[in-house]
Amino acid sequence: MKAFEYAVAKNEKGIHTALARGYTVKAGGIDLLDMLKERIAKTDKVVSILGVESLRGIRETDDHIEIGSLATLAELADDPLVAGLAPSLADSVRHAATPQIRAVATVGGNLCQRPRCWYFRSRDHHCLKKGGSSCFAVEGDNTYHALFGPGPCHIVHPSNLATALRALEGEVVVAGETEKRTVSAADFFAMPDRRMYAENTLEDGEIVLAVRVPKAVGGNAYVDLKEKQSFDWPLASAAVAQVGGRWNVVMGAVAPVPWFAKEASEALREAGGIDAGVAARVADAAIAGAEPMSRNAWRLKLARAAVRRAVLLAAGKEID
Amino acid sequence: MKVDNDVALENRLSRVDALLKVAGAAKYASDQYPAKMIYGKLLRFPYGAGTVKSADADAARAVPGVLEVEIDLAETAKYPGWVIGHIVAENRAAIGDAEEAAALAFDATSAASVADRQYDGAGALDAEAKQRVDDVLGRSAAVVEGTWRTQVQTHSCLETHGTVVDFHGDSADVWGNSQSTFSMLDMAEPLGIDRSAVRVDNEFVGGGFGSKFGIGAEGRLAAQMSKKYKRPCKVMLDRREEHLDAGNRPGSIQYIALGAGEDGRILGGRIDGVSIVGFGRGGGGVTNLGDKRFDNYDLGAYEFTQSEINLNFSKPRAFRAPGWPQAVFALEGAVDELAEKLGIDPVEMRRINYRSARRHKQLGIGAELIGWNRRAPTGSQTGRVRTGFGVAGAMWPVWNTECGAEADIHRTGQVEVRVGVQDIGTGTFTLVTDVAAHELGLDRSLVRGKVGRSSYPQGPGSGGSQVSRAAAPATTHAVRAALADLTKIVAKEWKMKPEDVGYSGGVFTGGAKTLEWRKACALMSGDKITASGRTETGQEGDGTSDCVQFAEVEVDTETGIVRVKRIVAVHAAGVIVNRITIENQICGGVVQGLSYALFENVRLDPNTGAMVNPEFINYKLAGPVDIPEIVPVLDVEEGDTGVRPIGEPATIPTAAAIGNAIANAIGARVRELPMTPERVLAALDTKGAGT
Ligand SMILES: Cc1cc2nc3c(=O)[nH]c(=O)nc-3n(C[C@H](O)[C@H](O)[C@H](O)COP(=O)(O)OP(=O)(O)OC[C@H]3O[C@@H](n4cnc5c(N)ncnc54)[C@H](O)[C@@H]3O)c2cc1C
Ligand code: SF4
Repeated sequence: MKAFEYAVAKNEKGIHTALARGYTVKAGGIDLLDMLKERIAKTDKVVSILGVESLRGIRETDDHIEIGSLATLAELADDPLVAGLAPSLADSVRHAATPQIRAVATVGGNLCQRPRCWYFRSRDHHCLKKGGSSCFAVEGDNTYHALFGPGPCHIVHPSNLATALRALEGEVVVAGETEKRTVSAADFFAMPDRRMYAENTLEDGEIVLAVRVPKAVGGNAYVDLKEKQSFDWPLASAAVAQVGGRWNVVMGAVAPVPWFAKEASEALREAGGIDAGVAARVADAAIAGAEPMSRNAWRLKLARAAVRRAVLLAAGKEID
Repeated sequence: MKVDNDVALENRLSRVDALLKVAGAAKYASDQYPAKMIYGKLLRFPYGAGTVKSADADAARAVPGVLEVEIDLAETAKYPGWVIGHIVAENRAAIGDAEEAAALAFDATSAASVADRQYDGAGALDAEAKQRVDDVLGRSAAVVEGTWRTQVQTHSCLETHGTVVDFHGDSADVWGNSQSTFSMLDMAEPLGIDRSAVRVDNEFVGGGFGSKFGIGAEGRLAAQMSKKYKRPCKVMLDRREEHLDAGNRPGSIQYIALGAGEDGRILGGRIDGVSIVGFGRGGGGVTNLGDKRFDNYDLGAYEFTQSEINLNFSKPRAFRAPGWPQAVFALEGAVDELAEKLGIDPVEMRRINYRSARRHKQLGIGAELIGWNRRAPTGSQTGRVRTGFGVAGAMWPVWNTECGAEADIHRTGQVEVRVGVQDIGTGTFTLVTDVAAHELGLDRSLVRGKVGRSSYPQGPGSGGSQVSRAAAPATTHAVRAALADLTKIVAKEWKMKPEDVGYSGGVFTGGAKTLEWRKACALMSGDKITASGRTETGQEGDGTSDCVQFAEVEVDTETGIVRVKRIVAVHAAGVIVNRITIENQICGGVVQGLSYALFENVRLDPNTGAMVNPEFINYKLAGPVDIPEIVPVLDVEEGDTGVRPIGEPATIPTAAAIGNAIANAIGARVRELPMTPERVLAALDTKGAGT
């Protein structure tokens, strides 16, 4: 690992002071330290934000559940408030990674973790996302790459939580040095044509303070399908949620952002009830517009299965 | 004197080194930090083939703490991981900084990274041989024909390869992690000293699986740099190097056409094995099927051919039962398909065709424990999640190898036994301790077994599952010789002939006299008695380690995801010494076999030839949640002689049993490893399409 300067922020102001001086934020450090060890992340200044109390905790406001960006995945998975209102959010992280990682990894870090594309993670492949001139996945091994989206970068977003948050019409509370803003999950994540070198719309100097989920949620469920049952990212996932009476169907691990399945969501909204037939139709609609790459079309079946199951579970039905 | 029968001692005590390992007190090569140590690292070419286009060696040399940078611009690399130079520095961070500063740029040329592009079917037979195959298949009531494929698997040892060498001018200390303590004496060559001047400490080894023989490029660099800088030098591979250039099990493409009679008896046919090796040979291909000595089955009259496909990847190395898991996956799959065609139960099919009577019995034990009677006819289930059962078997031959041992009996009553074999995680410390304690009838706490140093009497390397078989009788001999010397001292004290002194369970007896162990030891005039023992070089030994394994799986037909629910592993391993270590070997073999069956896979980029997954996230290893209940069963019979191999047979049939269970569940066969959701879904599709 490259040697780096290390600072510890005590409060939000301290974080912004460090950011203004070119520091990179470290929360749990699971992803950042990996990136530093591999010398993919080039920073030589790291500020730990773990000591900033105001970013911790999960609380209730009048119309939201607010989750501090430093809440760990384990805390989120075990939170009774979340379990009662938005079980899909807890389920999205309950089996992610491993128990050790969940005890350290944070909500903010999970949303901001960098892609798992093996060319991106390899020093020997200077691809588009790293300022190079081509995407190695197009002609290479794209087994785990995107099923949706035009490119030119074909990563899948690595965060499970992002998928659930998007379906719940969650928001991300973001703070720059002087201003705070709240951005919908739909607008927080960015496709590569909008942002090539980042996966979200955070501006320089901005950090995630918290994420918020509306309390006005109805049935919701999250399902992911994994090759290995631990220490692995999903092959496909889906989150389905009813928010303010409106159904949303979102797929994960299939596109550079949590993928809102428009036709599927509409089909579900119009169905007027959920049974096995509806779930199957919604699932078919979810994968209808896919543009799989040379080696990954088979994953559409998994995406379809994840949607079908999430629809049934969100309606309180058993998976047949 | 034949001592084979005498090592028997069955216990369930925990490993003697368990606490050391759990507490971090066991020092591995990577834990060694002699004063003034420097670090070396090999630089490697990242793609399938090519040359270094440019490098800024001077910038790398200018990094503080860097001692030396060598980059070979003339080198033509032939695989990802090919060594193109090295860096030596005061610390590891400086090495990384120097590598970055060197700004290596490469010219990649086209590389062979896809085996199927080179495969053009089974090798040709001459007209007569072809006629023989046609005849036997023509006579058969059922014929199976198909092509099976297996992937390249890396050894993935927990502890990466590496060495610390401390050169002293006319001698050297070497800390290694080798599967052969004595092969580390090869350090003498790069050091330019006599083999006898090399002292090897190889006490703790974090796994080897066949990949850790000899000193390797890393050991050579450590030796050269220690000599050059007159300081200790450490070179440890990182995980990426470990995948790229520290051994692998070759892949295979196997064509099989087999026929059987109405009665299920296999009549013969054709087997063609292609090994997918790296840029050169090594590590055993699929050749074992052609070797009669290793035959799993009586295959009748069959023609066997074999060849190799070379890829731009590193050479294979021996890997836990070289050649076997790949061959057995294909053959046991084909036999299952034959059974299916003939309407014969797979267990019955094996009773009809396995050579070994031992395995016939094991089939009964395993079938009962797995609940074989719950097995639904293949393809009969219609639910989304389907359960399947499968069986496969294997055997492993026995070698008798030369091995020495030394035993001390101390005046205090303590006993120490030294054998120059090594414990690569298999439990050799425990075996040596338990055998000695048993032989003397003493509590284990009085006995200390030691292995893994070149100053101890020489024994075999950990290959072919022969260490326990050799170390057990050598220990017995040494301990008996030391006991005979102590007996003489007691006899002298009692003024009797040694022949008239008896010994049992820690007590000497002579006429009406008795003397307890510690008191007898206290009679010594000096501090200790030392005696040695050895086993003779054997020819090929008698007996085999036969086994069968049964798998129960659940397949989700909507997603293709396979969950293994249970494995029953029935193994004959001769005389049992320590149950925990032997069951551990069986479970470890099953886990590695399961991981091979479902997950592990070296993926080469079809364009750059780079390995895209040289880590443990996308090079997927079975994790705790993927590992099912494993039921190890030891099949011990009256008349079993000696400790027999277990390390290798335990991993052979697992993938085949799982493959057969999947086929039973879904009524379609996946003929390629790993059996991923993609391939399971494809098999289901093919079935649906009626082909
Ligand atoms: C083996 C393995 C398996 C995994 N499997 C899964 C999985 O299945 N699903 C899944 O979702 N994840 C998975 N992960 C990823 C893991 O959950 C993330 O790496 C982790 O959540 C990151 O959190 P952290 O707090 O450690 O982030 P850090 O490593 O500290 O930070 C990650 C990134 O986010 C930035 N950052 C952190 N906090 C903030 C903030 N408040 N504001 C702005 N930027 C910030 C950092 O600068 C850095 O770039 C897996 C990881 C591993 C190692
Ligand atoms: S998918 Fe994106 S990150 Fe991966 S190689 Fe292509 S451009 Fe790079």
